[in-house]
Amino acid sequence: MKYLLPFPSECGRGVLTPHESRRVRAPAPQWLFLTVVALGLLSGCAKKEAVVAARDIGPEAEAYYKAHADVFRFATPADLPKDLAWHDGSDVPEFSAPEARQGGTAQGWILDFPRTLRFAGPDAAGSFRSFILDDNALSLTMKQPNTGQYYPGLAKAWAYGTDGRTMYFKLDPDARYSDGVSVKADDYFFAFFFFRSSYIDDPWSNNFYTTYYTNVTKYDDYTISVSWREPIPDLDDKLGIVPVPEHFYKELGDDYVQRYQWRLEPTTGPYTIKPEDLHKGSYVDLTRVPNWWASDKPFYRHRYNFNRVHLQVIRDVDKAFEAFKRGDLDSFGLTLPKYWYDKLPDCDPLVQNGYIHKTVFYNQIPVPIYGFYLNTAMPLLNNRDVREGIAYASNFDLVDHQYFRGDFVRMQTGSDGYAEVPFPGIHPRPYSIDKALEHFAKAGFTKRGPDGILVDEKGQRLSFTVTTEDPSMRDVLTILRQEAAKAGLELNIEILDETTGYKKIEEKHHQIGFMAFGPAVEKYPRYWDFYDSSNANKPQTNNITNTADPEMDKLIAAYDKAQSMDEIRRLALQLEQHVYDNAAFIPGFKMPFYRVGYWRWIKWPKDFNVRLSQNAGQYGLEWIDEATKKETLEARDSGQTFPPEIKVYDRWKAGNE
Amino acid sequence: MFRLDPITRRKLQRFRSLKRGYGSFLILCGLLLMSAFAELLVGSRALVVKYHGHYYFPTYTAFHPGTDFDEDYSYETNYRKLKERFATEARGNWVLLPPVPYDPYENSFEEGVYPPTPPSFSQRHFLGTDTTGRDVLARLFYGFRTAMIFSLLFLVLVYVVGIAVGCAMGYFGGAFDLLMQRVIEIWSNIPFLYIVIIIASIVTPNFLLLLGIVVLFSWTDMTYYMRTAAYREKARDYVAAARVLGAGSGRIIFRHILPNVLSLTVTFMPFTIAGAITLLTALDFLGFGLPPPTPSWGELLEQGTANLNAPWIVSSAFFALVIILSLVTFIGEAIREAFDPKKFTIYQ
Repeated sequence: MKYLLPFPSECGRGVLTPHESRRVRAPAPQWLFLTVVALGLLSGCAKKEAVVAARDIGPEAEAYYKAHADVFRFATPADLPKDLAWHDGSDVPEFSAPEARQGGTAQGWILDFPRTLRFAGPDAAGSFRSFILDDNALSLTMKQPNTGQYYPGLAKAWAYGTDGRTMYFKLDPDARYSDGVSVKADDYFFAFFFFRSSYIDDPWSNNFYTTYYTNVTKYDDYTISVSWREPIPDLDDKLGIVPVPEHFYKELGDDYVQRYQWRLEPTTGPYTIKPEDLHKGSYVDLTRVPNWWASDKPFYRHRYNFNRVHLQVIRDVDKAFEAFKRGDLDSFGLTLPKYWYDKLPDCDPLVQNGYIHKTVFYNQIPVPIYGFYLNTAMPLLNNRDVREGIAYASNFDLVDHQYFRGDFVRMQTGSDGYAEVPFPGIHPRPYSIDKALEHFAKAGFTKRGPDGILVDEKGQRLSFTVTTEDPSMRDVLTILRQEAAKAGLELNIEILDETTGYKKIEEKHHQIGFMAFGPAVEKYPRYWDFYDSSNANKPQTNNITNTADPEMDKLIAAYDKAQSMDEIRRLALQLEQHVYDNAAFIPGFKMPFYRVGYWRWIKWPKDFNVRLSQNAGQYGLEWIDEATKKETLEARDSGQTFPPEIKVYDRWKAGNE
Repeated sequence: MFRLDPITRRKLQRFRSLKRGYGSFLILCGLLLMSAFAELLVGSRALVVKYHGHYYFPTYTAFHPGTDFDEDYSYETNYRKLKERFATEARGNWVLLPPVPYDPYENSFEEGVYPPTPPSFSQRHFLGTDTTGRDVLARLFYGFRTAMIFSLLFLVLVYVVGIAVGCAMGYFGGAFDLLMQRVIEIWSNIPFLYIVIIIASIVTPNFLLLLGIVVLFSWTDMTYYMRTAAYREKARDYVAAARVLGAGSGRIIFRHILPNVLSLTVTFMPFTIAGAITLLTALDFLGFGLPPPTPSWGELLEQGTANLNAPWIVSSAFFALVIILSLVTFIGEAIREAFDPKKFTIYQ
């Protein structure tokens, strides 16, 4: 399930994709780890017999369906509810450019070679996943990235059940995997069997598919329904699952992790990898599926235009950047100020001669939640005045303004970027030495010591350690430290290795954690993970502020059961106000856009990209103009120039819609 | 302490006559002396403030909040701003700032100017600023102090342990020697860098911890030289004589043998210091060294190589490193030449 699995790190996304070196942590899905053990027993898969070459998982899957008849239901078309209103997305606007031309090879890069081609199991959530699964495979319905409506994916029509938790799908009979086999209802049954199976060594999926989906029903080979646990307003996002081809997993067994390590599942999407194109440690080539079934269908035509995508492994970002400047790579993410202003400034000859174009695109997606997470279980930090004081002493505005050159802006809440869930009137506490001192004084810190740091009656210094797992935040933290010292607050910086730092914070051993959670692109934010008391004071949960507030618990319980967007908005606003009042989370910064540089032979739609895009290449809207490429390379040698192009697309900038 | 024997004294005279080495030695000592009083040369605290007839000397005292000088803030006085204010008021108050009026931690941001900024004499950023607007010269200078303190402590600790263990091995010989040799062989095969990486990833090492780790894996180098020297010396007549007089092992090792093998250690010293500086710089460069925002050359080099468009950062750090390492190497060469046994060995 692409929307809930850990967000693949942007690192290394190269093809027409901005490189974004901020590291973002996905919310660990611990909140789903409920019944792993039980599941392992249920699926009864601990067979120890010798591996037989001609294995067939089919009978075992059939037996599993029978054993779980409440989940896997076989029905007939006559069993379909009569009054279903079928949607087919015909009223949804397309978003690709009709002038796009298909063909050519894109030159991209990856920071590291993928560790596996599997979609499940250990290491499967690496950043390479987006190339072969997240931004490639089709789900039942797809979200229109500008309007938020849904258009057909593998289902050509869909309908909503009256219970608010079931959706009915008519599969597109044209839908084919890349190996030519058509997609059928059985593949959805198998998907559930697969993701619930202990073979895949993926407890998160096991739990997710056991806990949240209550039923999948097959009416005929091309009609199914899927049910969620309870009624929710964003059923499409949750139920638009991807099929798993049973014919490919015939040999599924205890050795799944090794057996399927380098075998790519046949895809319903546009790109696949031929075995001969996998050069371990060196490069991978994606090839467009010949006669891809959706090629000429609405919403898919004029997209995924490259015939091949060459992904070279370049293990150093700056080296990749030099390769881009040399013309070896088609595009490069310039989001970080360092690249946009210093390494490829507007006055650079490559830009001024019109060879490389620069573009800023404002998107609108839930942003990584950067900020200070104060551990309220720690001494002093359990005092709200101290927390508020710290909030007033944290000069994120200076960081945004002077270090990020005003490109970054202050996060307003812990849940920015949900277009349908705004938080009017909630703003972070500004930097104010006076207010900070006032709050610290209330907590007993009234005197400054010889070094200017506040001390209380007992001589205790107002000193905390900020733990982070992201070395690139070193400069940011040193600025915050200097500014906090003015308010009498000492912040010691602790930069740990990624795994250790994350572990320290998740185990709640930190005082102040500086990190980001990468939210999934969903319709509304989550609160249970981060603020419910059942997750407080417990290792390995995302409630890293150890917030335990009975009032919030009540609101969260109501929020999770909310069935309409209005109710969700109302409760979210109350919850966000509590988060603000509690002052355990101090919002950091966010970036409302991405920036990309590309050689002039890469062409884009007239609006450049779509609202929900996380990077320029995500929706496959660009294409290559081979004639322009030839012309440009010759011009570069001969010294001929073109008009420079530096563009800003701010249609989706806050306030512009 | 033991007295220097005439041969050693002649060696030192010879060292003084080697101009390049001795000159380097004097320069380095000068730099060390300067860095000992770094706050007087580089720092944001004023040397002297005259305000309403009172004299203030903030350099080495507790901080003066801005309110002490009737500023409207309670944090540490910004003496540069104060100086400007006094200049415009012209009421006989004045501020004497150090030649470089920035400390190595403060970020000096200016509206509309984004760091790193190039060297500027008018701003008194003589070597420019780094990526967060800190003065490069200040960071370089305090980084030098950190590196020198680190390497001198390193030297002392490594030599104390190395010499003691080495001499003991040579002096006692036998099973102890055999056992220690194996221990050292195993110990010196532990990959030092990995250990540092592992430790640095679990805890952020502070100065002493880092020093401890580095010493823990470096003391072995000295032992073998000292072992050989002690073996040789213990067979000499004077050791036998001392033993006949009833001297204990400790006395013989430290009062009789050690002064005679000291020349050996002296020739190694400069190279040990150069090694320690390089090591600290390398660790900081890789991000496994001292915690931010400690000023360090490795951190400057790392910033510089990541921001080649701001050449003043990398070139400052680079040249500083080259100059100091050259000085140390010149000293080392001179010492080696001065202590060359070919010139001074006296056969009985």
